[in-house]
Amino acid sequence: MGFVVACCFLLVSPALAGETRHVLVLYSNHRLLPANLEFEAGLRETMASSTELSAEFLDYPRFDGESYIHALATFLREKYALRPPAVLVVGGGEAFDFLLRHRAELFPRTPVVHAAVARSFLSSLLPLPADVVGVPIEYDFPGTIDLALRFHPQARRLVVVTGSSARDHAWEAELRGEVLRFQGRVTIEFLAGLPTDAVLKRLSELGSDTVVFTPGYFEDGVGRQSSPRKAAQLMAATAAAPVYGPFDTFIGTGIVGGSMPNFAAMGQQAGRVVNDLTDGVAPAALRLPEIMLPIVNVDWRQIRRWGIDPSAVPGDAIVWFKTPTLLEAHPTETVAAATVFLLQAGLIAGLLLERRRRRRMELAVQQQRFELAHAARLAVAGELTGAIAHEINQPLGAILSNADAAELLLASGADRRDELRQILADIRRDDLRASEVIHRLRALLAKQPVERQPFDLNSAVGEVESVLRAEARRRGLALEVQTAETPAVLIGDRVQIQQVLLNLVLNAMDAVNGLPEARRTVVASVEHDADRVTLVVRDRGHGIAPEHLPKLFDSFFSTKRQGMGLGLSIARTLVEAHGGRIWAEPGSGQGAVFRVEWPTVGGADSLRSA
Amino acid sequence: MSTPLPLIHVVDDDESLRTALLRLLGAAGFETRGYASTGDFLLQSPPDRPGCVLLDMRMPGPSGLDLQAALRRHGNPLPVIFLTGYADVAASVRAMKAGAVDFLTKPVERETLFEALQRALARDAAQRAARAEAERLRAAFAALTPRERAVFDGIVAGQINKQIADAMGIAERTVKLQRAQLMAKLGANSAAELGRLAERLQHLPD
Repeated sequence: MGFVVACCFLLVSPALAGETRHVLVLYSNHRLLPANLEFEAGLRETMASSTELSAEFLDYPRFDGESYIHALATFLREKYALRPPAVLVVGGGEAFDFLLRHRAELFPRTPVVHAAVARSFLSSLLPLPADVVGVPIEYDFPGTIDLALRFHPQARRLVVVTGSSARDHAWEAELRGEVLRFQGRVTIEFLAGLPTDAVLKRLSELGSDTVVFTPGYFEDGVGRQSSPRKAAQLMAATAAAPVYGPFDTFIGTGIVGGSMPNFAAMGQQAGRVVNDLTDGVAPAALRLPEIMLPIVNVDWRQIRRWGIDPSAVPGDAIVWFKTPTLLEAHPTETVAAATVFLLQAGLIAGLLLERRRRRRMELAVQQQRFELAHAARLAVAGELTGAIAHEINQPLGAILSNADAAELLLASGADRRDELRQILADIRRDDLRASEVIHRLRALLAKQPVERQPFDLNSAVGEVESVLRAEARRRGLALEVQTAETPAVLIGDRVQIQQVLLNLVLNAMDAVNGLPEARRTVVASVEHDADRVTLVVRDRGHGIAPEHLPKLFDSFFSTKRQGMGLGLSIARTLVEAHGGRIWAEPGSGQGAVFRVEWPTVGGADSLRSA
Repeated sequence: MSTPLPLIHVVDDDESLRTALLRLLGAAGFETRGYASTGDFLLQSPPDRPGCVLLDMRMPGPSGLDLQAALRRHGNPLPVIFLTGYADVAASVRAMKAGAVDFLTKPVERETLFEALQRALARDAAQRAARAEAERLRAAFAALTPRERAVFDGIVAGQINKQIADAMGIAERTVKLQRAQLMAKLGANSAAELGRLAERLQHLPD
């Protein structure tokens, strides 16, 4: 949007000039012209905060004519008679022209700072009064066209678009002179004073060998008002070729860029001069730059869009809309964050390695424990050999005798079909019974991975009950097994818990060995209440010597001549792995009681859901 | 009077095995009886018939060895064949020392079982014959008069008739008469035979 010409004007009112710090800015165009907004922002940020700023807008070229000028001058004179400005700032050539012509009647002794006034215009006015100062600008039409041709070395055609207001015609005239120097490189076509629709249609049909230059326009060929920025925006949106313009207010509209004076910088320059003047510096003593130099501005998105070689962009160019990398935007923070991140990553990697190492060791320990538990289970099985053989040979004996009987019956020739049928049924039943024993033993002895499932302690005990009964029979002692009436659910490996039970019961059997018959009794029971599941094994043997109690569950502690001293130690490991505890206490009267206790995990429900 | 058929007693707490054994023995022509425990067997006071006992070594309560001992104490020494599910040496030695006919491991082959049964029944028959003979002898001896018994003692002690007559203060001729009477009562034909009888009488089971 914008652009342009702001101007100011002013006239000094007689008294108190240096004291009020009231500054009046007089702009050529209307209030919302982007160039004016940027200029004023630069001005405000530079001037002392106490400075009071007024602004007036001539509103060229929308309003023009003798009567308008006259009315405007009258209005300004009367308005500022009561509050005369200390300094007058004029933005733009038209405002400057107005001021110079009406200064004597409006602000005759107020110093004037001009800004955004083209050097060519100023040179036509010379010499200026001593209290009229400023830094001229140069709209760099040829520099912008040159930039376009450098960005598009393959371009063969230059299209220049201008409008039909007085200002537009002035630019057109200027451009027709400037483009002559490019005639050798490209053919040049002017779209001057056309209706906006026609302009856009033409631009949309351009080929890739064309570049477009436009200062925009205030009014199109059918008199429709616009602003240079708005015109440029429409052209950039429609054109099939890249569009360039000379004003930095065009940046962001879709043009590629141009060589542009900077309106904010102009405002800042004017602000500095105003500060000096209100501080009492004589206008003649000011040392001002000869000119506001234009600088290349480009829109990075358009550079990418049109495939322009980024290396063609001058190093001092202002590049817009290029998302800076994080490092570019916040170098310190980025480096610090990256360092912290790397340190953290290193730490985490270290911890992970450490964790893996520990995990591996834990697995190794677990594996060893598992192997040991299995070895202990095999040892228990060794002790139970007699009982196991009995368990299996019993049905095998029955099968063999039944088969023999059947053979004899068949040989006898008599019709004993019913009896034979019964024999076959019995054989089948005993066969299943034997295989059931083997199945249970396999479950107990097989080297299988540790399970973690809910199971009922009652049924786990029931599964080893018969082999324990066989062992009790072999040893000639009484075994009593009592299970709880409700499911006593534990979570874990039933085989390991069975192993604990076998271990405790065999120990108890050893304890009563050789005692009178009344004392050769072992009781194993499952007890279950709201909080606990308990497995109790009692005997009526010699009991445990008090000095042995603390060492009972230690590895390699044994009071048996042939004991390894591992059974109870492993039993404790297995119990604790299931979240329980195991201890021994003297029995009431005689013998010892071993208790294993686990917290309850729920009832039949958790078993069903398993 | 004809000799009754042998009766085989099967004592095993495992019903399935017991049934199978009873079935097999029945098919082989034996008369059988089954018992679930040693106590059961004793309570039912098995009749005094030829036979033997097939006894499971390991049962709850009194064991097979206990029963074997009890049978001997009751003067009804039925031969015992032990059956066991697992033959450990110590138990088999104890059983054989206690007079078991055999010690069989389950599962037992039919031939093995029958051979053991034949041996047991043979032993039973022999024991029964010996017991009958001893009984007869004891009865005959009990039938001797006091004087005949005194003569018997003299003969067994190796005295001649004159020495016996002198010791008893009776005539030698009377001794000769008594001697003929007691030899007829005891069924002996010579002094040497009388000596063997005397020895057997001394060792008779009560």
